[in-house]
Parts: sequence; structure tokens; C-alpha cells
Amino acid sequence: MNDTVLKFENVHKSFGPAHIIRDVDLDVHRGERHAVIGPNGAGKSTLFHLCSGQFAPSSGRILLDGEQISGLRPAEVNRRGLARSFQITNIFPGITVHENLRLAVMRKHGLQFSFWRFAGRLSAVNAEVEDLLDRLRLTARAGTLANQLSYSEQRSLEIGMTLASDPKLILLDEPMAGMSQEETDYTADLIREITRGRTLLIVEHDMSVVFALADRISVLVYGEIIATGTPEEIRANAQVKEAYLGEEVAA
Amino acid sequence: MKAKIFLVAIAVAVLVALPWLVSTPLLNAAVQMLIAALFAMAFSFLCGRAGMLSFGHAAYFGIGAFAAVHAMNAFGGAGLLPTPLLPLVGAGTGLLGGLIAGYFATKRTGVYFAMITLALAELLHALAPHLKGTFGGEAGISSFRMPAWGFTFGSVTEVYFLTLAWVLLCIGLLWLLGLTPLGRLALGLRENGHRLRFLGYNVHALSTLVFAVSAMFAGVAGALQSLNIEAANYVVLEAHVSTSVVLNSFIGGVRVFLGPAIGGAAMTFFGYITADLTRVWLLYQGIIFVLVMMFLPRGLVGELVERFSGGERRSGGTALLDGGWRLAGFAMAAAGCVFLVEFLQRFLSTGYRATATGENWPPIELMGFDWSPGSPLTWLLPAALLAAGLWLLGAANKRAAAQQEALA
Amino acid sequence: MDQLVFALLNGTIYGLLLFMVSAGLTLIFGMMGVLNFAHASFYMLGAYFAYTLEPLTGFWAAILLSPLLVTGIGVLVEKFILRRVHAFGHAHELLVTFGLSVVIAELIKMGYGNFPVDYRVPPELRFAAFSISGIDYPFYRLFMGAIALVMFAAIYLLLTRTRVGIVVRSAIYRPQMVEALGHNVPLVFMGVFGVGAGLAGLAGAVAGAFYTTNPNMALELGVVVFVVVVVGGLGSMGGAMLASLLIGITNSLAVGSNLRPADLFALVGQRDWAEQIGGLMTVQLSSLAATLPFLIMLIVLVVRPSGLMGEKE
Repeated sequence: MNDTVLKFENVHKSFGPAHIIRDVDLDVHRGERHAVIGPNGAGKSTLFHLCSGQFAPSSGRILLDGEQISGLRPAEVNRRGLARSFQITNIFPGITVHENLRLAVMRKHGLQFSFWRFAGRLSAVNAEVEDLLDRLRLTARAGTLANQLSYSEQRSLEIGMTLASDPKLILLDEPMAGMSQEETDYTADLIREITRGRTLLIVEHDMSVVFALADRISVLVYGEIIATGTPEEIRANAQVKEAYLGEEVAA
Repeated sequence: MKAKIFLVAIAVAVLVALPWLVSTPLLNAAVQMLIAALFAMAFSFLCGRAGMLSFGHAAYFGIGAFAAVHAMNAFGGAGLLPTPLLPLVGAGTGLLGGLIAGYFATKRTGVYFAMITLALAELLHALAPHLKGTFGGEAGISSFRMPAWGFTFGSVTEVYFLTLAWVLLCIGLLWLLGLTPLGRLALGLRENGHRLRFLGYNVHALSTLVFAVSAMFAGVAGALQSLNIEAANYVVLEAHVSTSVVLNSFIGGVRVFLGPAIGGAAMTFFGYITADLTRVWLLYQGIIFVLVMMFLPRGLVGELVERFSGGERRSGGTALLDGGWRLAGFAMAAAGCVFLVEFLQRFLSTGYRATATGENWPPIELMGFDWSPGSPLTWLLPAALLAAGLWLLGAANKRAAAQQEALA
Repeated sequence: MDQLVFALLNGTIYGLLLFMVSAGLTLIFGMMGVLNFAHASFYMLGAYFAYTLEPLTGFWAAILLSPLLVTGIGVLVEKFILRRVHAFGHAHELLVTFGLSVVIAELIKMGYGNFPVDYRVPPELRFAAFSISGIDYPFYRLFMGAIALVMFAAIYLLLTRTRVGIVVRSAIYRPQMVEALGHNVPLVFMGVFGVGAGLAGLAGAVAGAFYTTNPNMALELGVVVFVVVVVGGLGSMGGAMLASLLIGITNSLAVGSNLRPADLFALVGQRDWAEQIGGLMTVQLSSLAATLPFLIMLIVLVVRPSGLMGEKE
């Protein structure tokens, strides 16, 4: 029996007359790496915005571990255990890498309005930051301002911040966007390594990454999921070939 | 780090020794400088650290000032608290006012936030005249300091030490606050509030709290002012109070810790020493601010820190030489500009216009000489100074740029 | 009833005036992302320039030349000051314009004194447009409203019907794209900034004669215009129009009313309690009129933080 972490039930989203997401049903199982692929404009980013609290669905529900999270605000969604990264790098540019990660870690420790202790002396927090830095291979860059990092380092930091709250489910929105082949390989490797044992929902354009990384793949075309299955099943699916891969080849 | 501690220790020592070093009027000015410094630090906790630009900080300064006066007058003049503890009243009311105003203002960010803070301050300013009991109407409310703890608080020196103690305490607290999770999160608010939201933080509550803390320290500064002048008038709620804290803080530099304090103290000091010389100090303050914003965006202290901490790439000698030329050019341009402003100010004043009848334009006395408005020299001299100064500045900048290019 | 008609008419015209200033602000913000804090200072400059020119050129030429002068100043400000700080970010641009507003106010005080100047509606325009039950309605108010309306029509046509207008509108959304298509975007920015400033100057030249012309007029109007912008939402002209009229009309209804907050409590039978509280409860609404825009703003912030017509942030 499959244990479902994230469940979309008949989720629909329209902006005015434009129907971006149409009656999506989707289950993400615990411990799997689940990828969403689809041509440009299929609604992949909207799907992420819906489950991370940026938008509320027009109808339908999204459940995280059986609890409804659709319609909640981003901070609340995050606190229920869903963390996301962004397609366009979304970090704290003017402060150090260490500080970036510390802000991401502190929330889990209930440190929000705390003004009576020193951040430098929170040993549990700092140990976690050190550990994250190590796993992100950013230890040497800990004291660097985030905006001085190279692009792929910034992407690593972005992923690290997503990971910091130890979420039930991680959403990665095109983590390889704009990367060279070398950087892509590096980041794919990093993602595989640091998300071991976690549940991952990922949107990515790079097909080689998706097919190598994902346990299961869902294909989103014009706001509808047309197929979900293992990479082999997706590769063999005629409908996908026609609607998606065919189009890619033609283009 | 050690050098910094050393510098701060020296500064504190000088501040403590000040009453034995300067005259009473200057010590009075020093009290005002300290208050301006604390006010600027409070403002910059919000603006520099958390990136929320407030154009209405007079409101919290004023709330603290009035609360302190009322506390001094409580119990038939006996005072709510012993005199040295009265700034606590300013802190409390500032915090409360900040929580309420912050709740509304931080509903929006960026330019909207700035406009809302201005509107809230103007709201209080517009309401104050109708609340005579609280704000005392035109005359304001006066009071006087009660002796406490063996001090009479009758002399300037005692008031100075009281102010100094509070200002140092508050600046110290602001520094420590910067090291706490709240202080670090304030940086996150400045850098990327959107990301904080997706990390699970309640951004509105955080912003409100940071706003309230800033208002609290502004309230302390207001209370210190009331203690100093033994009165409060709703002039403290006027827009120019909010304006000057913005100008002072940015002239000093809001992103370096003591920048705003130095800016606030320095501008207050210049205001004090030029009070007899010019009537248009605010104009100069505005011009200095615009120039700093255009050419030294980090503020004066910020740029200094940057120069000394960032490795100077060119050899010391040429840099110094360029610096010298720049300084000379700047001084000439400034002299020309000041001459022009002062002359125009006198020329346009109602007093002068009353004496000038028909073709008769009497000469105007400035810097010990008489200048006739009709004489070409009067206009050529400042114009020449200004042009020559700007030319020097431009030439020095070009030279520096060329050298940078050669190095790169 | 007649009072109400007058109040509504006054409010509408005041609202149109507010819109004349906030429209320029919205246009500049929408296009350049700059909140021009000195915008209301241009309004003030318009009034002072017209006041200065009037003895030399007569009223009509003065209210035509003054906005042109202000446009020139706006162009200089954009070219030599704003463009320089553009690289430091929008917050810096806001701060620089804030500094400019201080400098302009101080220069005005230096040149004309820190008191109102005698800038008045010329005698030939001081007549009643019509009268209702014996009360005359000044023609000049209608004239101000008419100028505002003509101006909107002109801007609207300019933006929608001309090539320049199309470039301007697209530069608002995609400045890089427009630049890539070979249009001179800096020139367009400069033009829009100048025109925005000129509009504010025209409003000042016309309204300064009717209301008062003093060194505080920039701050007083500026604050109300900011409230308009927060209430309406910066992005939309429609929002600015709605909020301008809302605030203009509320304001003039309050000015004409002798209600007190305590009287409202009478509706629920609590007048005595409210009277006892005193303070604001017993102040006439007319003297609280100046605070009403702020209260509207607070309500909007709680109910609809993004403004009446604003998009969600």
C-alpha cells in the first residue's frame, strides 16, 4: 500500500477566463522523487504556487498528510511541512551564506520573535547550519555574501534553504534552469544526495535529469495531467509521445 | 575588531569627560546631539536593518515626549517615576504607539509603507490641536525635573549625564538586539520578505514588532528631550522632525551601525554652530542630503568604513593627492554655493526689500564685506568659485577613473 | 439639501484636482518605478511661478507658462539627478526626490517667506456660475474642474491614439523590449517625468489662486495624494480616480457638517457616555475633516490592503 504525502483532489485554477489548471488529481507518495514535466505554459509553476500557498485553487482541495493546505497562507503551508524553492533564485542577497541558512533553520526551532538570546550562541541551530553547509559543499563560502556566489552556488543555497526546515515534502521549481551541462550534473548529484530518504516533487525541463532522477513522472499538458508513471512507463506512453515528446521533437 | 572596541572606548571616555572640557552652552548642544543620535539610531533600526523607510518617525518621538511630560507632572508634580527612570515612560508609550501604527503600516511594503508612515504621522499631527488635554494646545505643556536619587537635575551637567547614560544604554541595547534571532530576521525582512514567508515566518507580525522596537527607542529619545527642555509642544509632531531624522541618518549612513548616530550628532552640531550665521540651515541640510545620496550612497560614515575596510587598490600617495584635489574643488564649489545662498537669502528677505526703494539697492553685508546687488563682482565671484570647484572635482574624478582603468 | 449639492460639487472638484496631481504620480511610478516624493513640490512650484509671472504676463499667460517652467525643471531633475541614482535602486530614487522636496520647500521659504503669498483669482473670473436658493456658486471652481477634465481627455487621447502614447504605454510594461525595438526609452522616461511634473504644475497654478499658496502646500497636498495612491492602488489610473473622488467628496461633506462623533453614538443611545469621554468625541466633524482621508486609508488597509483597484502584491 502506498502512503500518500501530497494529494491533489480535482484541483482547478482559473485566472479570469483562462483555465490554467483543469481538474488535476495527483498523489505524491512518501519517500519518492516525483517529477512534473510538460511543455512551456502547461501550468507547472502554477501547480507549485497552488500547493505552496501563493495562490488558492478556484476549486478542489490539496491535502498534505490528510490535512487541507489549499487556501492557507505560504507561512502556514511551510509550517505544516512543505518547503519550496523558486525558479528564479530567491535568497537573501545582501547577507552571508551562513546567515541565509541560519534564517532558514531558525524557524524550525521556534525562533521568530526571540530577542533575549544571541543568534551566535544557539548551538543546535548553528550545528545544523554547519551540517547543511557541509552537505551543500558551501562550507568554504560560509562568510561570503549570497549575491557574490556563482549562479550554481546560489542555486545550491536555494535548495539548502528549502531543506533547512526538515520538511515532509520538498518542492523544487526548475532547480537547473539556466545551468550549463556541467552545473546541471553537479546539481542533480547534489539533489540526489541531500534529498535521500525525503519526498521530493520537482519541476524540471531537462529531460535527462528528470528521467535519471525521478521515481515517478507526471505529465502536465494544458493544465491537465495526461499520464503518471515510472520513467519507463512514461517513455512508452503513446499519449505522452504525441502530446509532449512529439512536440519537442517537431520543435 | 580590537581597533573598533578601542575607538568606542575612547569615544565613551571623551563623552564622559565632556562636561569638564566644554562650556555650558556647548554642553547643552551636546545633550541635543545625543538625543538626535539616539533618534537616528532608532530610526535606522527600522530603516537600515529591516529596510522599511519611515517618513513619520516624529510621531513616536512626539508620543514619547508628551508621555514623559505627563509622567513628570503626575501626582501633582511629584512624578510617576523618579526622574532618571522617566524615559521608561517614553519607551512604553513609543512601543505601544509603534505596535498600533506598525500593524497598519506593515500591511504594505516598499513605497506604500513609506507613504503610510507619513500619513499616520500627519494624522496624529492633525488630531493633536483638538486634544488640548493631551497635547496642551498652542502653548504645549511644561513641567520641571524633580530631584531624585541625590541629584537635583538642576544643572546642565547632571542632565547631560542622565541623557548620556540613557543614550549609551539604548545604543548598546540596539547593538545587542542586532545579534538576536529577531535582529537577524530583521535583515531577512530587508533582503527578501517574500522568501521569509516561504520559510514559515509570520512576516507581518515580525515587521510590526521591528517597527514597534524602533518606535520604542524613538520614544526614549522624545522623553529625553522633554526631560531636557522641561516641556513638550506639538511642534515635535511636525513633519520637519520626521524629515530631519531621515536626512541625518542617511547622511551618516543607515547600514553601518553607528553611522546614523554620527550623522545625527554631526548635523545637530552644525545646526547649532551655524544658528547665528544662517537662517537657512535646513536648506543646506537638504542640499547635503541630496549630494550624499547622489555621490556617496552609503552615507559619509558608510563610505569611510568602506574605504578603510575594502583594500585600497591604488598607492596611498596618488590617492591622497586626488583626495586633496577633490577636497579643494569641493571646498571652492561649496564656498561659491554658500555665498550665493546667503547673499540671495539676505537679498530676498522682507527686511531688505523694505529698505530697497525704486532704483536704490543698498549693499548687503556678508562675511565682513559690503556687496552691491548691482555690481557684477557680487555675482561673478560665487559663480567663478562654483565653476572652478566643479572643474577641479571633475578633473580629479577623471584622473582617478583613468588610473583605475590603467590598473584594471 | 442645497448644502448637500454644494458639498458634492465641491468635493468632486477637489477630487478632480487631487486626481490631476495623483495621475502624474501614478504615471511616473507605473512607468519608471519611481515614487516621486517631490511630485507635490512641483504642484507648489506651479503655484509660485504663476504668482510670480502674473504681474508681468497677466493671469492667462501665467497659468500657461508656469506649467511649462515646471516641466523644464522636471526634465532637468530626471536627467541630472534621478538618472544618476537609478543604479542604486528605487529606494534611493525615492530618497533623492524626498531630499529635493526639502530643498524646494526651503528655497520657496527663502524666496517668498514662510507665509502665504497673495495669489488670487483674477477679478474678471470672480463671478457666480449659478446660484441655488440664493447661494452663489463660484465660477472659478467649475473652471478648475473643467481644466482637470480637459486634461484627462487630452492625456487619454494622447496615450491611446498616438504613436508616442503607444510607446509610452508599452514602456510601462516592458521597458527593455521597447528599447530593443529601437525606441529611446531614456527620452521617453524624461518626457513622462516632465509631463507628470507639468501636470502637477498646472494643477498648482490653477488651484493655488483659489486655495492658498504657501510653503506648506506641497506637504499638505502631498500627504493627501499619497493617501489617494495607497487607497486607490498605484498601478491603476482608475483606482487613482476613484480614490481621489472618494476622498475629495468625503472631505467636503465633513467640512460642511457640524456633526460630532458623539452624535453618532446617539444613534445607539450612548450620547451621554460619549460626551463624558470628551476629547475627540465632542469635536465637530468639520474640524476633523483633515483627518478623514487618513481614517479612510486605515480602513482600506485593514479591509483591502492592496488598495481599492490595486493588484495583490
